[in-house]
Amino acid sequence: MPEHTTSLTAGRLSADELAAVLAPQSSSSSGKSLSVTGLRKSYGGTTVVDGVDMEIAAGEFVTFLGSSGSGKTTTLMMLAGFTEPDSGTVTVDGRDITRLTPGKRDFGFVFQQYLLFPHMTVAENVAFPLQLRGVDKAEIRRRVGETLEAAGLSKFAGRKPRELSGGQQQRVALCRVLVYRPPIVLMDEPLGALDKKLRDQMQSEIKTIQRELGLTVVYVTHDQEEALVMSDRIAIMKDGRIEQFDTPRALFERPRTPFVADFLGAANFLTGKVEDGGADDRTRVRLDTGGVLTARAHPCVPGQSVRAAVRPGKLRLVGAEKGCCTGTVETAVYVGSLTRVTLRLDGADPGTPPLRIETAQTPPRVGERVSVTAEREDVSVFTETDGG
Amino acid sequence: MAGTAVAPAKVRVRKTSALRGHRSRIALVNAVPVTVFLLVMFVYPIIGVLSLSLKGDSGAFTLHWYADALSGANLSVLVSTVRISAETAAASLLVGFVLAHAIARMRPVFAALAMLIVVVPHFISALVRTYGWIIMLGEHGLINSLATSVHAPGAPYSLLYNETGVVIGTTSVMLPYTVLVLQGVMRGVDGRLLAAAAGFGASRFTIFRRIYLPLVAPGIGTAGLLSFILCLGYYITPALMGGDRQTVVAALIDQQVMQQDRWNSAAAFGVILLLLTFAGLGVLGLARWRRGKAHARRSGS
Repeated sequence: MPEHTTSLTAGRLSADELAAVLAPQSSSSSGKSLSVTGLRKSYGGTTVVDGVDMEIAAGEFVTFLGSSGSGKTTTLMMLAGFTEPDSGTVTVDGRDITRLTPGKRDFGFVFQQYLLFPHMTVAENVAFPLQLRGVDKAEIRRRVGETLEAAGLSKFAGRKPRELSGGQQQRVALCRVLVYRPPIVLMDEPLGALDKKLRDQMQSEIKTIQRELGLTVVYVTHDQEEALVMSDRIAIMKDGRIEQFDTPRALFERPRTPFVADFLGAANFLTGKVEDGGADDRTRVRLDTGGVLTARAHPCVPGQSVRAAVRPGKLRLVGAEKGCCTGTVETAVYVGSLTRVTLRLDGADPGTPPLRIETAQTPPRVGERVSVTAEREDVSVFTETDGG
Repeated sequence: MAGTAVAPAKVRVRKTSALRGHRSRIALVNAVPVTVFLLVMFVYPIIGVLSLSLKGDSGAFTLHWYADALSGANLSVLVSTVRISAETAAASLLVGFVLAHAIARMRPVFAALAMLIVVVPHFISALVRTYGWIIMLGEHGLINSLATSVHAPGAPYSLLYNETGVVIGTTSVMLPYTVLVLQGVMRGVDGRLLAAAAGFGASRFTIFRRIYLPLVAPGIGTAGLLSFILCLGYYITPALMGGDRQTVVAALIDQQVMQQDRWNSAAAFGVILLLLTFAGLGVLGLARWRRGKAHARRSGS
């Protein structure tokens, strides 16, 4: 789990306070579990979501991460009920809610566009969901007051949303959801319209509230860092499917597909043939450029064409001819804590990109011949069937 | 880092504000011909009418044209004009709201087509349209033959030469304006706000009452006022479709100028109509101001 407590002190909103205000009243404050099976949606022949299955535990923070068009927002909209799936089911704590309207699901929604009601004041906006739930007036006033107070928005209670900054508006949107304590909160790029600094701050605020209230949050973003910082697990989406659904660490260190390896961080791909796939704890690959690279175990047979993936930071420079592959340094750029090196491998096709290395070791000079090696645990192997 | 990020933003702001100043000066120059035109063609005649209405036969200052206009038969004409205008505004708002709402929800192609159907009758002479209504609404017209053939209770109805007839006629004239105004406002309502309200569990009725209606309210005010004001000075339809009791101020003005050569009295009526229009605008402005004040009071607490 990454650290995000430090930035809290910088925030004007005390997320802990907000959580404290909301928590005591919600004895059953913990979120609910969410289960999705075989979710599909196509628009006019184009399949947007192509069979999504996932189990989300109560109190878990799950993020759909993908580029635009990967189907992440459509999937979220189907969870929310704003979009009806062609097939598949959505269940909450075992109850089938696939055909329920959004209002009947009792979820909370936070959108990138805030969607505050422009004709209502901040307080009226936050009171709105409570009024719909038939909470009596005095209770509404108390809860709205407390929530806004904890969010540091008390002095804006009587203002209209358009008089607030983007960050304040998004906080109001968040208050409007948290005030009625939905067990599951769905967020569609809620911080997408904010600047970097505010985004960092809001990330930790949302995360703190989620953890303290035990909310189940399903989050959509295309921002990798945001996903890594906030999520318990991340579902990486591509072409309407989940490529891999795992913890940030597992995604980073043990990508299951080449797409995931390259999408999170960057990866060098080296082609070769399996030399020895029999061993249960490793796979030896004879690289096309010569040399042998040892990777983690992967189901494959000797002689099979494979691609090995290594992150630039996991390649170690060793003396010439000592590593798995040797080449000539093309560029070496010092970027502060480390040096970015590109290496043109001996025997590589002229069309292939050079090897990217990030090293804190004494950087090599341009034109120098060096060799690289990598730990077995840092090398992934992909066969044809693992996708592109 | 922060410094370098702020500096270019500042420069950009300065640039745009300088640009805006330049633009507004050009805009002022552009406005000169229009201003001159309005002064000559609009303000000057109004001052002329005003001074005419305050002059006696001898040319001395008098208020008796106004006293005349606001007493006896003339007053009842004034009252029925305001009443017919109010009824027309209400009717065209009601029909216009339903129509505009339907059009706003259509796909753009069909919406454009529907707007065309609403607006095109407006290109036809008001006289022709009014006679069309007379044919439709007569005792043996389409509406009444239909009503009698299905044995509707009370049929045939008297739909002509009374206030019902006038309001039907004027409403059809004002409808395009209300539909245009309302449809514009409705198009501007962000459908995602309505979806968000539904997401919180609001019923369709609640969404309509608490979100949709308040968001289109300014349009309702504008459209209602527009048809009210336009109707105040409207002439042909009430004259042709109304009875004796539906004489409107415009008809009275026409009578006084064309038949009795009483320009001063006609001018007084004209000024009264203008004041009524301002009163209508004032009511709308007051409503907005009070809403703003209520809002300010809430923010103060």
